[in-house]
Amino acid sequence: MPLSDAEVERYARQLLLPGWGKVPQDFVRVSRVQVVGGGPVAGPALAYLAAAGVGTILVDDAADAAAEDAAGWLWPPDRVGQPRSSVALESLRGANRFAKVRLHATGADPTAALVCASGATAREAAERARTAGIPHVVAEGDGDGGSVVVVPPGAPCFACAFRVGTGIPPPPATAAALGALAAAELLMILSGASLPMEGRRIELVRGHPQSRPTTRQPGCACGAPRVV
Amino acid sequence: MTPSGRLDIRPFACPLTWVKTRIALEGLRQGEVLEVLLADGEPLENVPRSAALEGHAVLSREPAPGGWRLLLRKGQVRHAPAPSWEA
Ligand SMILES: [Zn+2]
Repeated sequence: MPLSDAEVERYARQLLLPGWGKVPQDFVRVSRVQVVGGGPVAGPALAYLAAAGVGTILVDDAADAAAEDAAGWLWPPDRVGQPRSSVALESLRGANRFAKVRLHATGADPTAALVCASGATAREAAERARTAGIPHVVAEGDGDGGSVVVVPPGAPCFACAFRVGTGIPPPPATAAALGALAAAELLMILSGASLPMEGRRIELVRGHPQSRPTTRQPGCACGAPRVV
Repeated sequence: MTPSGRLDIRPFACPLTWVKTRIALEGLRQGEVLEVLLADGEPLENVPRSAALEGHAVLSREPAPGGWRLLLRKGQVRHAPAPSWEA
């Protein structure tokens, strides 16, 4: 189904970006992105994916809203204690009438994943995405910056790119920058707008991004041919 | 010269004039020609300029009923590199 006139109008400015166009927009439209986590990194990422035209967004978050989540744009202070996922759905309603935002459920069959979490949650979500063979991006705030690990299919996995952090959450503006950066990286993969896309780890250090290609750790399971 | 595609953007304003032209060009092969009917003023200034900036050839522009007729030949498609995000 070609982009409708209403969609062309909705995405007019984006359609003009270098490398972008109808085909990249269509690829984004048919994608189903599972977003793992909530809070100050995930909120801006969710808002970005919805506005950019991801056809289906699957919110995967089991936590309840805490006071500090108000920095994540989607969770007003008066919703503290309520499930973050359903509050996010409400906040994103109306962000883009062409994007469906739903709760992630078993059997949802996402085509990509954006992981805005840290620790075991991040590792497990990334590993699920890898074994499912879908591209994924992991954003993790840390200290006065954080990292975005980009894993297109076949690239070195998140575990290969992992580095131990301080465990201290970043300031809200830094978290928002990480979320937006992670969403933009995933959109580049989904749209095919920038090719070739390789695995990389972007460190945000006091507002300055530094990008390095990721390398595979010897013997890691991500180097074995995938059984299909 | 027989155009491979024909587009009427006279009812539209910026940025849709160029957006629709760009989408139409996207559907052509390199070297194919697109005929665009457009209005005087902003579209006549911006559409050929934007097309030239993206590497397409502006073959001709001539007055036509209700506006102008523009012929564009599709140039080579250049893929944008992945953003480095670094200064
Ligand atoms: Zn690995």
